[in-house]
Amino acid sequence: MRYLVTLATASILGVTACNTARESAPAAPATPSLKTVSLPDMSTAAESVQTQLRARYESMTAAIGKPGVASSELADAYGEMGKLFMAAEFYDAAEACLTNAQTLAPSEMKWPYYLGHVFRLEHDDARAVTAFERVLMLQPTDVPTLVWLSELHLAANRTDEAERLLTTAKSLAPESGAVSFGLGRVALARQQYSQAVTFLENALRVAPAATRVHYPLALAYRGIGNARAADAHLKLRGDVDPPQADPLMADLAGLLQNAAAYETRGTRALDARQWADAADNLSKAVELSPRNAFTRLNLGTALYMQGNADRALEQYREAVRLSPGLARAHFGIGVIMESRGRDDEAIAAFSTAVASDPAYLEARFTLANALRRNGRVQESLPHYAEIIRINPAVSQASFGYAIGLVRLARYQEARDRLQDSMKAFPDQPGFAHALARLLAAAPDDRVRDGARAEMIMTRLLERQRTLALAETMAMTQAELGRFQAAIRWQRDAIAMARQSGGGAIVSRLTEVLKQYEAGRPCRVPWTNDDPVHHPRPGA
Amino acid sequence: MTRRCVAVRAGLTSSVVVCLAALAVFDGSAQEHAPILVDRTKESGLDFSHVNGAAGELRLPEVIGAGGALFDYDNDGDLDVYLVQGAGSGGRLFRNDLRVTPGTRSLHFTDVTEASGIVARGYGMGAATGDFDNDGCVDLYLTHLRGNQLLHNNCNGTFTDVTEKSGTGDQRWSTSATFFDYDRDGWLDLYVAHYVDFRADMKRTCFSAGSARDYCNPVVYPPVADRLLHNDRNGTFSDVSARAGLTRSPARGLGVLASDINGDGWIDIYVANDGDPNRLWINQQGTGVFKDEGLLAGVALNRAGQAQGSMGIDLGDIDGDGDEDLFVTNLDNEANTLYINVGRGLFEDRTVEHGLFKLGFTGFGTRFIDYDSDGWLDLIVANGAVRHLSAQVQKGDPYPLKQRSQLFHNDRRGTFVDVSAAAGPAFAPMQVARGIAAGDLDNDGSIDIVIFNNSGPARVLMNEVRARGHWLGVRAIDPRYHRDALQSRVELAGRGGRNVVRRVQVDGSYCTASDPRVMFGLGDDQSMQTVRVQWGPGDVEEFRGLAVDRYWILERGKAAKAS
Repeated sequence: MRYLVTLATASILGVTACNTARESAPAAPATPSLKTVSLPDMSTAAESVQTQLRARYESMTAAIGKPGVASSELADAYGEMGKLFMAAEFYDAAEACLTNAQTLAPSEMKWPYYLGHVFRLEHDDARAVTAFERVLMLQPTDVPTLVWLSELHLAANRTDEAERLLTTAKSLAPESGAVSFGLGRVALARQQYSQAVTFLENALRVAPAATRVHYPLALAYRGIGNARAADAHLKLRGDVDPPQADPLMADLAGLLQNAAAYETRGTRALDARQWADAADNLSKAVELSPRNAFTRLNLGTALYMQGNADRALEQYREAVRLSPGLARAHFGIGVIMESRGRDDEAIAAFSTAVASDPAYLEARFTLANALRRNGRVQESLPHYAEIIRINPAVSQASFGYAIGLVRLARYQEARDRLQDSMKAFPDQPGFAHALARLLAAAPDDRVRDGARAEMIMTRLLERQRTLALAETMAMTQAELGRFQAAIRWQRDAIAMARQSGGGAIVSRLTEVLKQYEAGRPCRVPWTNDDPVHHPRPGA
Repeated sequence: MTRRCVAVRAGLTSSVVVCLAALAVFDGSAQEHAPILVDRTKESGLDFSHVNGAAGELRLPEVIGAGGALFDYDNDGDLDVYLVQGAGSGGRLFRNDLRVTPGTRSLHFTDVTEASGIVARGYGMGAATGDFDNDGCVDLYLTHLRGNQLLHNNCNGTFTDVTEKSGTGDQRWSTSATFFDYDRDGWLDLYVAHYVDFRADMKRTCFSAGSARDYCNPVVYPPVADRLLHNDRNGTFSDVSARAGLTRSPARGLGVLASDINGDGWIDIYVANDGDPNRLWINQQGTGVFKDEGLLAGVALNRAGQAQGSMGIDLGDIDGDGDEDLFVTNLDNEANTLYINVGRGLFEDRTVEHGLFKLGFTGFGTRFIDYDSDGWLDLIVANGAVRHLSAQVQKGDPYPLKQRSQLFHNDRRGTFVDVSAAAGPAFAPMQVARGIAAGDLDNDGSIDIVIFNNSGPARVLMNEVRARGHWLGVRAIDPRYHRDALQSRVELAGRGGRNVVRRVQVDGSYCTASDPRVMFGLGDDQSMQTVRVQWGPGDVEEFRGLAVDRYWILERGKAAKAS
């Protein structure tokens, strides 16, 4: 329902009241002209926000109607209303209220400060500059204002103005990362790359977690021809600004108390991987809106990422109770069950997730792996195949499918799959290695091809030498009848296994070594207990 | 302008008229306050309205489409139009039945969808054009929310859906696409941008910070890696995305443009991503591998180091220094970004310095066009928000995403001046514009525009600038492949001591394909012109003695032909 009340009359009454009050105060300013304030159409806002706005509006109305109200009190009433409008993104109404507050309390800096932000958020940079300049006239040493105003100038490439403000800020807050960050970007805009490096390195020194500094610093290094440093900083870039205390804006951020606002803050924190902040906000959202399955799903994720699996599980279970088809919540349950070794329950949860959303590849892949790990290889294959059909780029599914075929002794099909995958994913040596091992040791005579296996292995070993590669090369040499070479490679593998402390592996490799010593090749590419057949949870 | 030049050739009296008119060419079109682009949608018969299927659930796909294509499907010498549809009865093909008689040009489009055999299936997003089988007829690729389609042009006015046979189907949400020859084998390969993994059960409920229901930020959906399809020269394509290195970097792709951005002779790919860093996929010398060098090149982020909500792209030499600069459209709280090419494949964000830092507009389609033919690229941007605009919500607008489009005039120093207000009523309407395609619809030597609106009618904006310079149009064709030499560099020699660089480019913008012809504005220069076409690395051919104010067909190894 629209809730539109014009305050024109009330406003006039309020002004009259103020005038009366001022009559007894000779120092009071001349009659101020106030803007009419009315409640905007709030129908799209959450009910709790509407309630909050109405309550504040009534307070303001009461203040306006109060006989003999002081200008400062009236200013506060308008100002607080303006802040709430601002937080709820009703910028026109916020502007009217804050302008009135500013008119009634012209020496108070916070009202033009908020007005500056309203204009900034409305992309009216010229008026934002004027508002912030007014703040500085009232409080020339306010560092947040100096920084915000410099940002506006910097955005408009008015580097001289930005530099002047930031230099003042630096004299007031010499260890401010935000100020050095600004000065560095001023230098960068002027293509004074060396100076930019100095300022930005300083910003990082005082605010090492400020990942946003890395990008301009990389450009500055690029400008002086230091590509290596540029590349290093590009890898470190992020979205964390240098900290700058801003109590007025912090106050505003906590004003709205409703599920949607908490959820918005929570999901933003979730996207930024700030798990504690996300959990805190989403918990409040759940308290206010307990029947929202998505909120519970997000809260579950935040809690799980914080390491609180028990509470996460509670949220996921409640989410699927509220919305039985919520695939991601089923998936979350499955992940927690899997991490606890309760694979049957995990498989059930993953299966439900996949049934709810057949295109949910992550759930399907995890299900396929869980099935394969539990010996249900035949059941896993259709899931891998479906993933490949939907997105052929998921290389892990191609690998899982091929290894599943090996486990089912369908060696020719496995070989063909691995060959295709090797071509499709040339940057992933795992396919080439698996193919070489199959060519070297498959029990099926039609599959083995020692010469080809050797060719593949020679290339792989040029790049790296691992226990598994040495073992496969030993299989290859044995398949080619070169048992002395096989023995040497197998001993290398055993030495590597001993170094890594793998007692069971050493025993298995030693058994195979005996075969080679007896002049018998290997016919078991992977034992059934090999990790390749048992993808780890979460792999 | 063409008519005026015809008059020049007719006799001395008329040439005096031209001299007088030419004086007006260079006073800057912004000052003249005569319409620049005039809405001729109704007269042209291009009767099409996009339907986004919104039913109050605020689903993300509703606000993302759509685009279309300008291409000469029937090889009759004028540009036809394909318009992508969202929900509803599928996209439409309109044939251009341009009639030119002495002194008049009559533009009229006829809906020939049924006769063409085109049946677009699915919720449409965009279109790409290219002759994938080198038969001399331009084919059409349609991107969809699910199930892209490749439509083979049968060279007889009809199309055959060869999606299945060609292996170009795609169940992932696809947006822009482009045909380009990455391995220089003469056959056009295909790059398809993917957006997010959007599924029916993921009906996320999203809010503005002020708690009102709104469209979701796409970051709530997982990004999907783009796709590269290699043309196997037999009517089929192979998915080489993984080998190319694309699958390791999923991002929310919206705009795509193919060009040799680092000047090494191999065509690279630039992708505008929504909220993710933009990618500059540098072609590793035709090996089939691409490496993202966007960050170091300086085109992945804005100058503040922020990944923006990027949508549309265009490339052009805006400052006349012989290399191409890059323009990307973004969200209304970010401003669009102009990356100036500073050489060695490196760019710098100089949006503010060049007059393009304007907040409050969410840009989608965009093209550099020299609308007044003064030899300097101007800029058009189609705008429309993706999140509710509170002022329109307050006014009860049921689809509160409307913004006006913008036109910027290049002041011949590479700085842009917003002339939208003086550009005529065509720039007044508030609309939810998405794709924008540029091309000379009436073959008069001036670039016209088609705007593809979301949940609204497509609009035909005809270039009716009065004080327009002379021009030279080029269609570059490689006869080895019987098709336009896409991505080839075309230079106009010796313009005021500099060569003017353009490129055969149909892609870029947003979900659209444009006119493959290259247009050079000449100002008051009526002399014979020399054009060089770079067909490939070290393969540059010069065409001399080209008369102005007409189109020329430049075929590799053949004499230039006036068209």
